[in-house]
Amino acid sequence: MKMTNKTSSYQKIKTRLFWVIVILVLWEIVAQSGIFPAAIFPSLLVIARALENSIVSGEILLQTAFSLALILQGFLISLLAAILVSSLAAGNKMFNGLVDTLAAIAHPLPGIALLPLIIVWFGTGTTSILVIIVHSVIWPMILNIMTGFKAISPIYKEAGLNFGLNRFQIIKDILIPASLPYVLSGIRIGWARAWRALISAEMIFGAVGLKGGLGWYIFKQRVFMDTPGMFAGIFVIVLIGIIVEDYVFAAFEERTVKKWGMI
Amino acid sequence: MKTKVILSIVVFLFFGLILAGCSAMGKGREEKLQIRIAEQYGLAYAPLQIIKEKKLIEKNLPDIQVTWRQLGNTAAIREAMLADELDVGFMAIPPFLIGWDKGMEWKIACGLSSSPVALVVNKESIKSIQDFTQEDRIALPQPGSVQHILLSLACEKIWGDPTRLDNLLVTLDHPDGMNALLARREVSAHFTTPPYLFKELENPGMRQILDGKEALGEEFTFIVGVTTAKLYQDQPEVYDAFLRALEEAVDFMENNPTETIKILAAAYQIEQEEVLKYLEHPDMAYSLEVKGVMKFADFMQKNDYIKRKPANIEEVIWDENDK
Repeated sequence: MKMTNKTSSYQKIKTRLFWVIVILVLWEIVAQSGIFPAAIFPSLLVIARALENSIVSGEILLQTAFSLALILQGFLISLLAAILVSSLAAGNKMFNGLVDTLAAIAHPLPGIALLPLIIVWFGTGTTSILVIIVHSVIWPMILNIMTGFKAISPIYKEAGLNFGLNRFQIIKDILIPASLPYVLSGIRIGWARAWRALISAEMIFGAVGLKGGLGWYIFKQRVFMDTPGMFAGIFVIVLIGIIVEDYVFAAFEERTVKKWGMI
Repeated sequence: MKTKVILSIVVFLFFGLILAGCSAMGKGREEKLQIRIAEQYGLAYAPLQIIKEKKLIEKNLPDIQVTWRQLGNTAAIREAMLADELDVGFMAIPPFLIGWDKGMEWKIACGLSSSPVALVVNKESIKSIQDFTQEDRIALPQPGSVQHILLSLACEKIWGDPTRLDNLLVTLDHPDGMNALLARREVSAHFTTPPYLFKELENPGMRQILDGKEALGEEFTFIVGVTTAKLYQDQPEVYDAFLRALEEAVDFMENNPTETIKILAAAYQIEQEEVLKYLEHPDMAYSLEVKGVMKFADFMQKNDYIKRKPANIEEVIWDENDK
């Protein structure tokens, strides 16, 4: 069992690497062909140099750290709130209806559409960015977790009741583990949405805090027409995305739902 | 492994087709006479509303197809011009210089307007830019904008450090900036232009602490018209028709104030009396003359906003030698 897991993850990294190289080669061919001006489509070397410069100056590291800290904060708040709200909704029909209605109203609303309101209500500081992140993340998470709860056969819950578990134990020991695949995909969607919300909010708000985050970094490169620098910022976002997907989420999956034989 | 090779060939072909499609599209559309012009928001662009309403370009060159686009910020205009989606863009001098520095093939065709541009604060305690604290936030359209460069100029004069207030900046477009200033939360200052500037100053407790002319030390053209080399060199008749239309629009505003006000009130959806009040402001002027380019270029190069500066004004303004 262990052996096959190892080879499959090795295989996955190999294919991932293969495609990354294909994409990079394609990129370089297009850049070298001169179809597009260098100001639109810079070559990899130029981008790498821009990335190196911002790493050496420490600028991009500080801004990445700032963004990551904000995102983790927003993400954890949303995760806890989503679990709490979904659990409550699972136990109470009226409350379930309320959450359902709220999600129907708020889920399709892009955070950026709320921006003018958020500026007036919360100003332009970190609070506002957190509000946008939480808004973007919490609804898909709630919807996923609630679907997960609903998908659980009532037999499990009834069996739990027969064993004399209380409401909290039912949520902790039955509902959450049994719906973990849904929760996990909710977390994945939430993570991606959190990044999107953060980067767009930062690009609009500017430097919140001393240095600002990655979105601000990209925006600054844009207004000063530093296209390679822009790509350097985008590269960092992609890199973080891949690391989180391939290592954090995959490892979590390995240790839970895969180990339990759920997927 | 074999499937992988095949797959990668398919991917290569796919991208190749997309690229071929893009370049074919680029060729197909140059046949007809056309001009694509981008403007931004605000009274500084008033003559363009006259050109639109009176169809002045079409009058000068009957067969031409004129496309107008209103974009929210200069970076978008610059990118659209780079992608060959626009021929003419109206913007302030600093964003033009940034593009010129990065090798964009464009030059200034004309001036459009001078306008009041000022820093408004909502706190009694802030009497000058020296009174800003770490808790204050200054809203302006974006770094590298004329507002940002003017603020940097003022900072350099006082502290010798143009970036002194950069960590207080918040990037908001003019309407959002005004809302944020009036909400009196974190944003305590807004660097803006009319009509937002005038509207803000009408509110109790709002004061102006710095204006553009004072920061630069001389008068300057606020908005200039910039055209691509392609328009200037390949379609001189279109370029001339456009420039003539602009002259006619400025003359029209001078000679037909009543109709001008009517057109502008409709275009900006503000009351006619307001428009009249704005146009009568002593610093609001429309002219094709270009002032202040070298002063901005000197400052921006000295402080690393751009790497090179024009040796003379001909390097950045179209003239006979460029034909």
